[in-house]
Order: sequence, then C-alpha cells, then structure tokens
Amino acid sequence: MSGQGYAPPTRDLSTLNYEKPVTYSCGDCASKVQLKRGDPIRCLQCGHRVLYKERTTRMVQFEAR
Amino acid sequence: MVQPTEAELQRRKLVRYNVDTVTNVSNTEYPHFYPGEDHSWDVEKFRNSLRVQFHSSAQFESSFSLIGLDASIANAFRRILIAEVPTVAIETIYMAKNTSLIQDEVLAARFGLVPLQGSHEGIHWMRWVKKPKEDEKLKEPEEGKGGSKDGENQQETSALTDYNTATFSINVECTWREGGKERFQHGESDPEKLYEHSNVYARDITFTPAGRQYEYFTGDGAFKPANPDILLAKLRPGQAIVATMHAHKGIGADHAKFSPVATASYRLMPSIEILSPIIGADAKKFARCFPRGVIGLRPVTAEEAAQGGPYEGQEGQSMAYVADAMRDTVSRECLRHEEFKNKVRLGRVRDHFICSVESVGQFESDELFVESVKLLKAKCVRMKRAMARMATD
Repeated sequence: MSGQGYAPPTRDLSTLNYEKPVTYSCGDCASKVQLKRGDPIRCLQCGHRVLYKERTTRMVQFEAR
Repeated sequence: MVQPTEAELQRRKLVRYNVDTVTNVSNTEYPHFYPGEDHSWDVEKFRNSLRVQFHSSAQFESSFSLIGLDASIANAFRRILIAEVPTVAIETIYMAKNTSLIQDEVLAARFGLVPLQGSHEGIHWMRWVKKPKEDEKLKEPEEGKGGSKDGENQQETSALTDYNTATFSINVECTWREGGKERFQHGESDPEKLYEHSNVYARDITFTPAGRQYEYFTGDGAFKPANPDILLAKLRPGQAIVATMHAHKGIGADHAKFSPVATASYRLMPSIEILSPIIGADAKKFARCFPRGVIGLRPVTAEEAAQGGPYEGQEGQSMAYVADAMRDTVSRECLRHEEFKNKVRLGRVRDHFICSVESVGQFESDELFVESVKLLKAKCVRMKRAMARMATD
C-alpha cells in the first residue's frame, strides 16, 4: 500500500552533521526542546527528563484505496 | 397474426403477489412463446411504448418512472450509473506530516472518499491516467501511449500532466485559542472554545490549478469538495496534517470513490386491485394494512346502493378504494386476514420502473441519468462496430 512508487532520498552517513540541533518535544509540558550532541536530556522549561522525538518530515506516498 | 386482448396484456404484465408465493415472475413476451403472436423486437414499437415520468427532481435527488421497457435495460442504466459514469477523485496522497490520531493509511483512504465538484466541461476534458504495471514502474513513462478507454481522442498516459491530474493540498495545525489554557484549567471541556482548528473538514482541502486547468477550473468551476462539512480528522494542540494530493479521473467499477451516485435504484410499480367492495369497519382495517395514503375511504353512493349485491343497504358507509398504489411497499399484510380473502389482488407491474437517483454532489441527478443513457449508447456503437468487423474478417 505505501511507498512503492516513491524512492526516498538516500543519505550518505559520513555527511551527517552531529552539531545540528534536533528538536524534541517534552513529555510533560509539550514544549519544543532543541538538543545538540552532548546536551543533558532535559526540558528547559519544566525540567522533565522524558523527551519525545518528532515524526520524520520525510514525505510518504499513499494510495487512497 | 393474433392480437391478444388488452386484459390479457395486463395480466401478462402483472407479477402476482400471493399469500406465500410470487408468480408470473419472468417476462414472456419474446418471439415463439405465444403461438401466432408477433413479439419480434422493433425500434418503432419500443419508441412508441416507452414513457418517462418525473415524480420529483431536486438538484441531487430525483425520482422518475421508466415505463414500457425490459428489466435488462433499466438494470443496465442502474449499473452504468453506479459503476461507469466517470468522476474525479483523490488517488495518491503525499503525506509530509501527520501527527493526528488517525493513521496515514486510514487518513489517505478518507481523503480519497471525499467527492470533488468541478466544472463539468473541465471534467469531460480531463483524460485518464494509465496506471503503470508493477514491472513498468521503474522505467520512464512513455508519452501518449496505450489504447483508449472512452472514444478515440482520449489517449491514456501514465505521465502526470495538467490534463489528467488535479493537485490538491491540505495544511492544518491545531493550536490553543487565546486564553484557552486558562479556560481549560477552569474546567472548560468544549474543544471549540479551547482550540483553534480542532476539526479537520473537507473544506480544508484546497485546489491548485496548473497549466490549462486555469481555463476550465476557475471561478465557480474550480475544484472543491462537494460537501464541505465532511469531518476528516480531529486534532489537539501541537498536532498537524500537511499533505499534497493528486486527483485522477476514474470510474466506479475501479473504486467506489469514483461512483457519482449515493444510491441509484429502482422498484417495480405496485398494483392493488380490489375485486369486490370492502365496506364499513372492514374498509378501515383494510386501509390500515397499507402504508398511509395508499388506500382511501369514500362513502358508498346512492347509485351503487341501488345496484344491490354487496352494496345493498350500505349507502353512506365508507368504502375502500386505491388512492395511490405507488406508495405501497407490497407488504402483503392484507392477505393475512380472512375477511379480505379473494377480495384483493396484489402485484407489481413488470415494465414500470420507479427509479431513484441520488447524486453525491458532483453532478445534478437528472444529468447523471442522461449521462448513463449516453454511455449505454456509446457501448452499443462499439458493439455494432465490432460486429461489422466480425462480418468482414
């Protein structure tokens, strides 16, 4: 059903930028938290230690059937 | 050549509804069934006997009678309406973001089922998209290749262009309303007061014309969901749906989302014959055996009372008569009662079809029926051409 007609872009792992901040959402207050490599895993607003990763923005193709 | 009497013709037309059986079900008016009678098919005869009567014709729902044709033809119209009148519907969805509760696949299916309304001329101008086969998918699509599905000038191609694909998009995000969080803390639970855009409706799907679509799909003719208030999903703050969609032309035989009708059905005209008068309390009981309005009551006249027999001394008493047989459901309730035995004959007229066509909103319902006639005609022409080719080969 999904993704057959669309080839997702492939990425070269060596070019991955680990210094780029990644956005997470806080498990308690739902605010957006930007973290870089080595940062403590903690919400800046409320100090909650559970963060959720956002869904990928990569496009997915579906057939409406 | 033998000419059957009018009464005999009426008898043949009637499908009989008895207490526990239904008899005289099939049409027998074909050649060699009745010795000496001519039942060969003739266009003139058909043209003279066919009648169309409209009962109601609202924009999206119409009801009419087709009288004087065989079930096979009435059924062909019904089937063409459901499965072969083309419409445009969303076929592929490119989901960029869906953080709602509804899974991507389910949401995609819901998008597909939204009926799309647009300029009829434009929909007629749009061509089919040929679906590439599994092994052809990797190859580059070839331009203007393949046979035709509907007429010679409509070439099919698997390349997506302005003349076979309409692009739609949706971009909604749910947020807190001003002061919504405070209201939430005070115990407010109505999502409309708390959140902005908590419901995603069909009207949130917007059309982006491309190329020659600017000529056809502008102003009133622009593509839009026919029913703007279809609820597609519910959101809560922080959830969002972002997607682009491609709509193609298709037919109901391929998928129900392409079907232009909600229902297209017919029933046979009920017939009620009161063989001997039903008078007094019996008449009231008789009327209650049928849906309201089918059986009426009228007083027995002086002339009828003078006739004697069952009318003897009944002047002024109420008597049952058939007011509107069309509203009957042929429940056969009256046949269960001893007092109506042999007094009534129930049936259905075999060549009187009460059709009802309900459009989902793309086309007017009467236009749809005309469209189905056109399609049947096109099929006949194709058949005729194939037969001619068979004769020459």
